[in-house]
Amino acid sequence: MLKLTGISKGFAGVQALSGINFDVRAGEIHALVGENGAGKSTTIKIIAGALQPDAGEIAFDGKVVSWSGPADAKAAGIHVIYQEFVLFPHLTVAENIFLGHERRGRFGLIDHDRTRRDAADLLQRLGVAIDPDKIVSELTVADQQMVEISKALVHKVKLLILDEPTAVISGREADLLFARLAALKAEGVAIVYVSHRLEEIFQIADRVTVFKDGAHVATTDIGDVNRERLISLMVGRDLKDIFPPKRGTGGGKVTLKAENVSVAGRVRNASLELRAGEITALAGMVGAGRTEFAMAIFGGLPASSGTVWIDGEQVGMLSPAQSIRRGMGFVTEDRKGQGLAMLLDVAANVTAADLDAVTRRGVIDRRRENQIAREEIEKYRIACRGPSTPVATMSGGNQQKVIVARWARTSRKVLVLDEPTRGVDVGAKTEIYRIMRQLADDGIALLMISSELPEVVGMADRVVVMREGVVSGELAGAAINEAAIMRLATQHPSAAGSHP
Amino acid sequence: MVDLVQSKPAAATEPKRSLTSRFSHLALPVFLILLIVISGLVSPAFLSGSNISNMLLQVAPLGIVVIGQAYVIILRGLDLSVSSVMATSAVIATSFSGQNGDVLPILLVAVGIGVATGIVNGLLVTKRSVSPFLATLATMIVLQGFRFAYTQGAPSGNVPPLFRAIGSATWNGIPYNILVLIVLAVVFGLLLARSRFGREVYITGGNPTTARLLGINADRVTIIGYVISGAMAAIAGLVLSGYVGIVDNWVGRGFELDSIVAAVMGGISLSGGRGGIVGGLLGAAVLVVVFNAVLLFGLPVQLQIIIKGVVIVVAAAFYVRRSR
Amino acid sequence: MSTIAYPRLRARVGRNRGVVVVIGLLVVLLVFGAFLSDRFRTPTNLLNIVEQSTGLALVSLGQTLTILTGGIDLSVGSMISLLSTLTSGLIAGNAAMILPVAVGVVLLGMVIGGLNGLLVITLRIHPLIVTLGMGAVLQGVVLLYSLGPAGKVPPGFTFVAYGKLFGIPIGAIVVLVLFALVAGFLRYARLGRYIYAVGDDDEGAKLMGLPRARVILFVYAFSGVCCALTALYLVARFGVGQPYTGLNYTLASITPVVVGGTMLTGGKGGVLGTLLGVYLISLLNNVLNFMDVSTHYQLIAQGLIVIAAVSIYVEKKKRI
Repeated sequence: MLKLTGISKGFAGVQALSGINFDVRAGEIHALVGENGAGKSTTIKIIAGALQPDAGEIAFDGKVVSWSGPADAKAAGIHVIYQEFVLFPHLTVAENIFLGHERRGRFGLIDHDRTRRDAADLLQRLGVAIDPDKIVSELTVADQQMVEISKALVHKVKLLILDEPTAVISGREADLLFARLAALKAEGVAIVYVSHRLEEIFQIADRVTVFKDGAHVATTDIGDVNRERLISLMVGRDLKDIFPPKRGTGGGKVTLKAENVSVAGRVRNASLELRAGEITALAGMVGAGRTEFAMAIFGGLPASSGTVWIDGEQVGMLSPAQSIRRGMGFVTEDRKGQGLAMLLDVAANVTAADLDAVTRRGVIDRRRENQIAREEIEKYRIACRGPSTPVATMSGGNQQKVIVARWARTSRKVLVLDEPTRGVDVGAKTEIYRIMRQLADDGIALLMISSELPEVVGMADRVVVMREGVVSGELAGAAINEAAIMRLATQHPSAAGSHP
Repeated sequence: MVDLVQSKPAAATEPKRSLTSRFSHLALPVFLILLIVISGLVSPAFLSGSNISNMLLQVAPLGIVVIGQAYVIILRGLDLSVSSVMATSAVIATSFSGQNGDVLPILLVAVGIGVATGIVNGLLVTKRSVSPFLATLATMIVLQGFRFAYTQGAPSGNVPPLFRAIGSATWNGIPYNILVLIVLAVVFGLLLARSRFGREVYITGGNPTTARLLGINADRVTIIGYVISGAMAAIAGLVLSGYVGIVDNWVGRGFELDSIVAAVMGGISLSGGRGGIVGGLLGAAVLVVVFNAVLLFGLPVQLQIIIKGVVIVVAAAFYVRRSR
Repeated sequence: MSTIAYPRLRARVGRNRGVVVVIGLLVVLLVFGAFLSDRFRTPTNLLNIVEQSTGLALVSLGQTLTILTGGIDLSVGSMISLLSTLTSGLIAGNAAMILPVAVGVVLLGMVIGGLNGLLVITLRIHPLIVTLGMGAVLQGVVLLYSLGPAGKVPPGFTFVAYGKLFGIPIGAIVVLVLFALVAGFLRYARLGRYIYAVGDDDEGAKLMGLPRARVILFVYAFSGVCCALTALYLVARFGVGQPYTGLNYTLASITPVVVGGTMLTGGKGGVLGTLLGVYLISLLNNVLNFMDVSTHYQLIAQGLIVIAAVSIYVEKKKRI
């Protein structure tokens, strides 16, 4: 049905895809796996016409094609369910579902009753109870995902691509999705399925393709591989070579204690403790409230309740400025949106949280600043021409090192890292892990938010798991394994966990 | 079967900056020099001492407004109220007295009005999340109404002789008002480029969320930006009144557009975080030179407005291309 | 519970908060005006309010659509000045020229507006800049054409402004019909739906393969047409066009849109709110007139209304 040959794509000097091959047959579910930054999203966007490849050939339905935009690919019968939904927040559920395929009546005018009826039918066939008249921005993330999925069922598609469709939905909803995918497969639809959850892939996929660092690594029938083999193909080396050795738990004193932290609509009475010298992971599904919980502790989000103790002193809920003064740091998940000052250079970014160190009587001492930057560049092996390199021109891994360097300078006690290795190649990843362990060994308490289970298992001395805004359990030492984390992250204890 | 393909590591080398991007900051000065040379060739009168002196006289009030506008635009904003501040502060401040002895109180009242307007603009933008365009538009209208209500349509104030001297007199061909511009440009240029506050302005303008997480009081920085703009506009209003010689309800009309055009031409991006005072002043100089050339060449005055319109679109398109 | 019994109604009201707020204010002002003066209550006065708001209503109609896409049209003032001056200048008192000139002016408005849209699409710079530049160019052009009032129109032409049908001013009827048509278009036409989608999430609209360029072209061309209609109305009203006629309309056209609850960031709002916003502003000015408040204070009131409106409607942004 679809065949990609020798596709390459680069962005601003970074090669995202180098000559990949990939094919999907009609009536199969083809899983696409790889770490963050392996090139999966870029590949999807090229198939969907949202990006144009620099080199290579796309053949669809037996013909070589060249999409000039998403409209072409859509017209040919390709539908993509993106990880970041393409939903229009101020339109209703029904309006969103039929956007681009409006139900029309006389004179070609939109038939609102039919739109509503058909949307209700569609949602019912999918097995979910969502009001088609609701404004999409008022839905839960899980319901938004189901609306996004239902959009794929509006019209006949030949190729359906799903990017992490189960990241935000529960097991029951995922089963509904899988049943629907099986039916589509039986109708001869080709399906590309991107997921981090390997157990799902073994459950539904026929074949699997592995990408790593923008290159094709392997394609195989699902029966010919096992879990361990798949992981080592994705990572490119054995796990023990990536993660620095753990030191064991129990040594450090409690540096930070947060109790009963709530954030309106996102986090309910969550508590945790961070110990000096330890890496604590905050695990759970996307949308479970992990970032919001950590952000509230740091002061970046207003908490409706909660108390924080630092070194045994009750400090209440702080502002970011107060947190920084007390020795906390926060490496955000969204580097470009929240972390870096993208328009400034390396030196300004490294010192941004610690302007006191470079300010004399209100004036920035540029020489001192450059000197600090040069030290950090050397210490963290940041690849750049020098302190005055604009960060916007650097690769993701080096940008991340700039942010880590910034916060490591000021974080005497606590450092939060939200998805610290997202979009970073395996080399930089290994270095970031090493730096994190070094910081812990220096006596800092680290809190790592991560969706990558191997990363959590490989790095964490202690794991706090969240589910739907609540802390659902804690694991330590030898008890940390993927199955135990998943259980805590997904299980519904009772009706209390369902949406009100 | 597992068919293994040799995996190539992704190339993550630092890209070289292209020649065009490395020298693009020279585009505007080169353009200005070319403009001056060509104008001088077309009309020798252009380079005469009196004409140059005249152009300097005209650039000063606009340049002063641009300084403030630069702060606001770097902070992702826009200040449409500058022209209204210019007229309102000049009209009200001079209505108390037109005497040289009261220069200081006049200056204080004018700047006070500018500062107050800036605070209102800043509070609306930060605390109420009103778009800068609408917030400053609203204060512009309110100030205008306030001014007309105050004067009942006919301003009664006089410009003190000292302001008239500063606004229009020259010393060996060098206007005094350009000295005012230079002093303000140096002070606020250094504040922006070298001080901690300036760094906070750039970080906040680049991304207010980043700034907040870095412990920077982004709201306060933004409000101060609008205050600077209001104060600059008030000073420019007095300087321009001195140039015109009388206080008029419409002093500074059109300066909101001209100052934005100058800033955008000078590489100060409307998406924030980019540009500096020097660029903005060069932009103001280009505008004044073009206006002057239009008059000197005997072309219709209306061409000035048309050129302004074309220039802002072309400049914005140029910088968008560059940043991509 | 009643909130569950009328979910659709509740959703509708929730989407049109602006309309509810403005209707409330209209009622308050009407009651206040009625107590204020006997003359206020007369049908003549109320029709006056409606009649006088025709120009503002027409230009705001086009402005609503550009704002719904997340853009803005700052060239409307100069465009109205240019088109009205051209209208009376070209008709020059010749009744036979009325129809061809009127058609030509509407087409010209569409072309200039379309050019705005084209520049927004191809240059990829903010509509604010594009239309600001276009406004300056048009102002220069109209001043090149004429520095003062140009030509005149035959007396019969004023019928457009002062004529009445069943006692209702023609202008008001035109406004109501146009607003109803556009409201229907936004609700029942695919392109209308896409206007909301583009304003709601421009990137998403691209990914969905929606005809984004067509949407942008359409709204700016339509705004140009609205400017042309405004120009024709103003010429009919004053008997002549002059190069500063439209000056105040650029900013004035935005006020009713914002007051009517349409978000400047796009994707939310509608023309009903705008129409009510127009009437609210006219009514307010009328009431202030009856209170013998000078026009200067009316200006202040207008500015304060904008501030109040945007402060009320502001969506709480997530602050991280």
